Amino acid sequence: MVAVADPVIEAKGLVRVYRSSTGIVRKKRKETLAVDHISFSVGRGELFGILGPNGAGKTTTIKMLTTLLYPTAGTATILGYDVQRDAMEVRRRIGLILGGERGLYYRVTGRHNLRYFADLYGVPMEKRDRRIQEVLEMVGLAEKADMRVENYSRGMKQKLHIAKGIIHDPEIIFMDEPTIGLDPQASRETRRMTQHLIEQGKTILLTTHYMYEADELCGRIAVINNGKIVAMDTPAGLKSLVKDTAVIEVEGFGITDHEMNKIRGIEGVRTVSSTVTESKQVMRVQVCDAGEMLTPVTRALDCKILDVRVKEPTLEDAYLWLVEGHA
Amino acid sequence: MPRLRALTTSFRHQAMHFLSDPGWLIPNIIAPFVITLVVLLMYREVTGPVVLYAVLGGGMMGMWGNTLYASGFSIQSERWWGTIEAVLAVPSSLIWIIAGRTIWNALIGVVNGLLILLIAMVAFQVPLDIADPVMFLVAFFLTLMSLASLGLLFSSAFVLTRQAGVLTNGLEFPIYVGTGCLFPIVLLPGWAHPLSLVLAPTWGIDAIREAAGYNPQGIWGTVMPAVGQGAFPFDLAIMALLALAYLAAAMVLFKVVDDKARRTGELARV
Repeated sequence: MVAVADPVIEAKGLVRVYRSSTGIVRKKRKETLAVDHISFSVGRGELFGILGPNGAGKTTTIKMLTTLLYPTAGTATILGYDVQRDAMEVRRRIGLILGGERGLYYRVTGRHNLRYFADLYGVPMEKRDRRIQEVLEMVGLAEKADMRVENYSRGMKQKLHIAKGIIHDPEIIFMDEPTIGLDPQASRETRRMTQHLIEQGKTILLTTHYMYEADELCGRIAVINNGKIVAMDTPAGLKSLVKDTAVIEVEGFGITDHEMNKIRGIEGVRTVSSTVTESKQVMRVQVCDAGEMLTPVTRALDCKILDVRVKEPTLEDAYLWLVEGHA
Repeated sequence: MPRLRALTTSFRHQAMHFLSDPGWLIPNIIAPFVITLVVLLMYREVTGPVVLYAVLGGGMMGMWGNTLYASGFSIQSERWWGTIEAVLAVPSSLIWIIAGRTIWNALIGVVNGLLILLIAMVAFQVPLDIADPVMFLVAFFLTLMSLASLGLLFSSAFVLTRQAGVLTNGLEFPIYVGTGCLFPIVLLPGWAHPLSLVLAPTWGIDAIREAAGYNPQGIWGTVMPAVGQGAFPFDLAIMALLALAYLAAAMVLFKVVDDKARRTGELARV
């Protein structure tokens, strides 16, 4: 593990096992290893990203660091306080910002949501209303603060999530997929606010599975897969893992799993992924030599091809290469 | 002070949530009306103070039903809304947050109970001649506190379970019957008496009926005849002791369930 100057978040060998059981008479117990001995440090003022596919262990890691879950093994400290032993001290100093539609009181106003959490976080009474107005202005919700949350748009709800997470002016902020489900404009706005918090000297730990977000915001990124950190570096450092590769991007209709598996089997192909938009399908094939691989890749497809391009690898390609087990 | 602040802000939060949902009309206006009607139909053959006895039991039913449902669903609603994790991430103990909400719920329960009396008086012309109005109000207030502490005790169990609805349904009628709301507990089998006597509402309804001046089959004259009838202040003292015992048990239980929730990770599951 690389030494970080002035670490404020430190995880050492964190493990989390979920235990569940099914059946009443003949109980079957099941154990799921969600986080598997992960260690990392985050320095003061840093924006550290945790990147990984669904179910990789990102949210479980955040829950352990924010005292919502006890680690099964290992330790974690926030500003020197142990997350299990000194939970109250940790909670006073951190903010938690969740993504998604839930997590707010819909039947009351945005201002009431903030007042409630300001009180629960112990924001001094004489400063409370001023602080609420300050964060409302910061996130751009001041004019809608007295509307019921049930009338907010998805983007406005996310702004309220952010306001709620920073209402007590915490030193460290945990953001769990804050842009999930947002339209591009609202995502950009959320990223702008995140950047603003960093400029204010906050330390942020952010989980996401949006590559461009991690690339744009994070100073360092840990890529997590199956509960393990498979790489940890700067975005540039991660991209350099795939510097000697190229990407063939194929736009088309009806690219099947069978065809993608066929391409995966071609020698020289490193990763294959596909995204579907409303109008088309885009397949990205990471290869060692684009000139040599262009023909075998397009030949393996038996569908309508709209366009084929060769591109420079991005953070997404490095990420795919890592989570497909090449680390 | 931080505890008091968590308690008061949660009380206000619960009040705002309660008033913002028009659904409150059903348990708090329509249900009391129905309860009064049912009680008066059950006792239609009798007149005089017996009707008062019955209506007071109906009031207690309204108080208990309201406290129980509101306590059960205040945690369950947090699960549905996805706010439970945000609440558990704050540096205030869960017990003070739930206590504030439970006090509001119990207060609404008392309003509910008083409304039943009002409906009986105004809509059904039942004469409510309270013998000792001051003691009657004292008994109502102490019953509110004991209901709040009992609600808090139940809430701790609701933190862990996703079956709050089933539990509240299951607990509603045993308390109506076991505490003497519907008929005197002396009519219950002997083995049930100890169970009745550890429930604060049993003493609450006994005290309220004593203060109203008609309690022919009260606890002291029947279940515990050695003490003798009319030991009304003891009702209040025992109810207060039980409320304190519930409070102490709730404090321990909240610590246990908070610890278990963070250990198992099951808290946010809907």
